[in-house]
Amino acid sequence: MIELKKDTLLVSFPEVHRDATLRIEFQRTLRIPDDDRTYPLPPGLGRFPLRHVDDFAQRVPAKWQSRGGVMLPMYQSEALWLNFSSDFGYPFAVKVGTGKINAVTGDEWSDGLHASPQDYLVVPDQPWLDGYCVEKGVIRQFVAMPLGSGYSVEEQITGAGEHGGIQIVVYLFDASAYERLGRVRVRQRVLYDMLPAYLSESAAPDMGLSPGGRMEQEIYDDHYPFEEWDQGHRGRCFVHLSNALVWRSITAEEPPPTPATAEEYTRAGLPWFTYYAADRAALEGAPALEKLKSVKQLGSEKGDAPLPENTPVTPTNVIALRAGLKPDQVREGAF
Amino acid sequence: MREADASYSVRQVAERIGVEPSYLSKIERGLTAPPSEETIVRLAQELRSDPDVLLALAGKVSADLLSVIRRRPQLFGELIRELKDMPDQAVVRLVREVRDGAW
Repeated sequence: MIELKKDTLLVSFPEVHRDATLRIEFQRTLRIPDDDRTYPLPPGLGRFPLRHVDDFAQRVPAKWQSRGGVMLPMYQSEALWLNFSSDFGYPFAVKVGTGKINAVTGDEWSDGLHASPQDYLVVPDQPWLDGYCVEKGVIRQFVAMPLGSGYSVEEQITGAGEHGGIQIVVYLFDASAYERLGRVRVRQRVLYDMLPAYLSESAAPDMGLSPGGRMEQEIYDDHYPFEEWDQGHRGRCFVHLSNALVWRSITAEEPPPTPATAEEYTRAGLPWFTYYAADRAALEGAPALEKLKSVKQLGSEKGDAPLPENTPVTPTNVIALRAGLKPDQVREGAF
Repeated sequence: MREADASYSVRQVAERIGVEPSYLSKIERGLTAPPSEETIVRLAQELRSDPDVLLALAGKVSADLLSVIRRRPQLFGELIRELKDMPDQAVVRLVREVRDGAW
């Protein structure tokens, strides 16, 4: 079952194992520059607010109601990353789609798990997902653009902006196989409160995620025996992305302020991050995703300037986080 | 309290939640009446504990829960009485799930 608590999705399978609880947060972050460079991991700036679509049934599009799930507000060209944690180290296989395009393989959405090519993440080995797996060890950041503007991965691959949003399906590890495993500790990325930066003028309700700047992030190979994933149980959630400019009219709540720019953040000397898991192998990039155009590239072709701020930065304060840190070793700072 | 961690001394915790150390010490030893809900919630955040659990230990119920019950007293009165003897596992099944629809 999936619950929504404190802007976090709790995916649990109490009927299978009491440890089987996965937490999924949607982290606000700064948008890294969309240029030829490959950047370290940006920080988390706090959770996006998450709301049940059903609570605002009269004010959301009919298709949102029929899909169910939850919704969150994003400004145009705002970035996001997904934060996964498993309280007791219970392993989960997580499929993530945007606009029903798999973020790991670039394939159109399909049910079930597939091993070749691997179309899912393994949590808690994979603590975060910041974007599309375009090369081995490199992702392109998730960046929100209005659905219908042609930038989203969905529109670039299928030619249509039908779905938008984020799709998540969670499968869990076989309970008896879990009992034979040692427990894995989880780790977190620093969270900062940041300053507002800019507003977009677009106000269409649906946003789609698009490929932004390049970032160092490995998508880890599944080191568990594939047959030990329990595909008889799953939790599934459609996460609608509402343009932040209409969020207030839907929910009567203010959306969060827009994050600082990468330039402001870096100039303030605040940290970026790298993450190492020496004992894990990284997946190759997905050819279907590698050939997509970034927001900046596509905007240049269209004669648009979709990114209001895209100054290259040179992060100098980069903190290395390694797999296996204990929760109490989390590095926290203040802004 | 996290006795092994110096940052969780009575003095330091009291300072962080905005009360006098002597007052917090009395609370800890049960020598004074429980603090306000606001203070208990701050203490729970500081200790990374569930505020509802700490409030219950102090014989209190959070204002937001009281507000929920007062809005529909008959419905929630009956519901809570029905649930009082149910095992935790059964109560957990009553939580609101995120609805999955047709994609």
